[in-house]
Amino acid sequence: MRTDLGRIWGLAVKELLQLARDRLLLVFLILAPLLELLLMGGLSGGGVHNLPLAIVDHDRSRASRDLAARLGRTDELLLTAQAANLEEARGWMQNGQMAVIAVIPPGYSAALTDPGQSASVQVIADGSNYVVSTVALATAEDVAAEISRNISAVGPKMTGGPVDLRFMARFNAALRDQPHAITLMLAMIVFEVALVVAAQSFARERELGTMEQLRVTPLRRIDLMVGKAIPTLLIGLVDFLMMLGLAIVWFDIPLRGSLPLLCVLTIPFLLAQIGWGTLISLVSRTQQQAMLLVFALAMLEVAFSGLLVPASAMPGFMRTVSYVSSVQHYLMILRGVMLRGAGLSLIWLPALALVGISSVTMAAAWLRLQAGLDADSLRRRAGGVWMRARHWWCNQRPSLCPGQRRRRKPKREWSTDPA
Amino acid sequence: MSIKRLTSILAKEYRHIIREPRTLWMVFLSPAFVLIALSLVFTSGSTRINLGIWDQDLTVVSRRFIGTLSSDPDFIISYVSDDKEIESRLMSQRIHAAVIIPPGFADTVQDGNTASVQVILDGVDTVVAGNATGSLRASAAAFGARLSEQTVAAASPVEIRPQSAYLPTTADRDSMVSGLIPIVFSLPVIAAALALAREREKGTLETLVASPVRGLEYLGGKLFAYVTASLTGLLPVWLTASLLFGVPFRGSPLLLVVLTADFLLASVGLATVVGNLVHSQQAATVLSLFIFFVPAFFLSGLTDPIDVTDVASIIVSYVMPSTHFVTICRGLFLKGASLAELWRPSLMLLGLSAVWMALGALTFKKRIA
Repeated sequence: MRTDLGRIWGLAVKELLQLARDRLLLVFLILAPLLELLLMGGLSGGGVHNLPLAIVDHDRSRASRDLAARLGRTDELLLTAQAANLEEARGWMQNGQMAVIAVIPPGYSAALTDPGQSASVQVIADGSNYVVSTVALATAEDVAAEISRNISAVGPKMTGGPVDLRFMARFNAALRDQPHAITLMLAMIVFEVALVVAAQSFARERELGTMEQLRVTPLRRIDLMVGKAIPTLLIGLVDFLMMLGLAIVWFDIPLRGSLPLLCVLTIPFLLAQIGWGTLISLVSRTQQQAMLLVFALAMLEVAFSGLLVPASAMPGFMRTVSYVSSVQHYLMILRGVMLRGAGLSLIWLPALALVGISSVTMAAAWLRLQAGLDADSLRRRAGGVWMRARHWWCNQRPSLCPGQRRRRKPKREWSTDPA
Repeated sequence: MSIKRLTSILAKEYRHIIREPRTLWMVFLSPAFVLIALSLVFTSGSTRINLGIWDQDLTVVSRRFIGTLSSDPDFIISYVSDDKEIESRLMSQRIHAAVIIPPGFADTVQDGNTASVQVILDGVDTVVAGNATGSLRASAAAFGARLSEQTVAAASPVEIRPQSAYLPTTADRDSMVSGLIPIVFSLPVIAAALALAREREKGTLETLVASPVRGLEYLGGKLFAYVTASLTGLLPVWLTASLLFGVPFRGSPLLLVVLTADFLLASVGLATVVGNLVHSQQAATVLSLFIFFVPAFFLSGLTDPIDVTDVASIIVSYVMPSTHFVTICRGLFLKGASLAELWRPSLMLLGLSAVWMALGALTFKKRIA
């Protein structure tokens, strides 16, 4: 047992040394996550802000200027230009300079003061990005409703609706976009670092030809797997803690729950990536292939992480598939503990899911390792089993395999035909 | 510069790609495959909101109000019965918002007064919170209309006639698929960065240095091989977008091919710089992930458009080739734009490819010596 541990430790030290020798790689692994979070978190708080808006004002009155100013004052829209006519504005939209056009009809101010009339303002949004069009149109509706309310408050009596909704946002009273975006980036970066380091482990040895040397060492396969997992786990945890510190100190993201709980639950998340990575590195012949598989997997995980569509809002089949995504469960834990202050009793379900995913991927990687260290050893094994099964089957029922019958024929002729 | 040496490098690179069926598959087909998967996921969602209701009134009127809420297909309603339950359900993310109907709701409403109803939102996901606010307001207005048995139309002095140019707002799939094309092309581009790092890691670069091949010929051969190999991947991507997802194509096909080549030049140029900087493929992968992966989703304008007032975001996103290609793809597929309208992003791409390729050549020369 002692020697086993010593062997594993030796391999882990060798892996760490290898990482440390490539200074640039070490810098990328430790500093790049921080820089990326700093840059991306600082730049894109998420959400839609300051869409360029062009006004086509056919009314040219105080009321129409007020409407234009109100539209421009919103957080979502930014009044950028006045167009003489709709064609000019459409040209701007066609080359992407403008995202929204508002057309104020002649007689707008007259319609406002006349209770019998209704002024209709046409708002055209760039539908080639549906986020833009949805947000812009909703903002315009809000502004129109505000103006309507103001007018009816001034004018003759008009009661409000029977229900007045009082909204209160928990956990994020100011409705900042940043906590949501930063937690997503943090999870994505931890995910990709762990996956990349794990995915190159065996592919690299294979490509450089050092796999042969590993084979003649007394290391068993399980030792190999554990020894290669340790450095990945360490780097993942270090990155996680540093980025967490940055998020709390620099971006002012609250940590309402317990830090030890968060760290403990990060381990199965990292183990799931190590399992995936080891699997990838075992089936890839070169590092290039491993990298492409990593990217494909990473894109799928990000898609299911609720970047655009929350997993809970996906239709049945997709939701079932999305349970496989560890990023999704980890985000529930991260946001639950950090932003909502949840304890284990409230997030045991995603925690359990993470443990389940990590044990399945690790078990799959271990099984794959048992099949052999070559990139196509699994296929060769499966091929061997398949051939044996086919031979057995064809011996039982020769009539069912026409291709095989010919080989058996001479034997039968020899035994049945006395001539 | 000798054409013969250049073509022999080119032949060698093509052979590297074709020799391994898996690499070939990944360079040629993986963009289309990833496009299918991403598009299916990104466009599958509806905006469903899990609503917890605490009805303290328990009257016919409050049930009618709940009935109005449940007639909105966006809401999935569950019932809660105290503060603690609301808190724990919000924390475990089983509900997105809670509506508390106060006692005496029915009396207030029937007297013709306004009853205030408390709504507690989960503020973490601001998009869901915004959707919930909008849908709840609409439901409250609908309840008012049902109660007074009259339509409130024509009462509003300002009316917005919304119009979504090029596409109806419901066709989010077209907008998403065309915007994802630049992201899926990052796969073959990163393969180019690794191809450069591989020569250095395996030591075959030294053999090449000893051969009469010059640095620029070697670099040009690599670049050209990966740009053309990735360009063939446009065909399956295009077929996927048009046939599988039914995205309209309104621009000129030739322009798409030319501008895709333009984009790939810029991206592979950037990948060359990455490949030159590092010593190992592992480092190349890590660096490519940080350069191509996270910014592609957040800064390219795929979903959230770039904030035109934030200078830093503009600079960073303009340096990324994918930002311009998102504009180009959406312009060509959905808007039917021509070169006259797309000259700005096209020129930016051309400038970027010149800059990145020059940087790639400079960083390479230093190392080969």
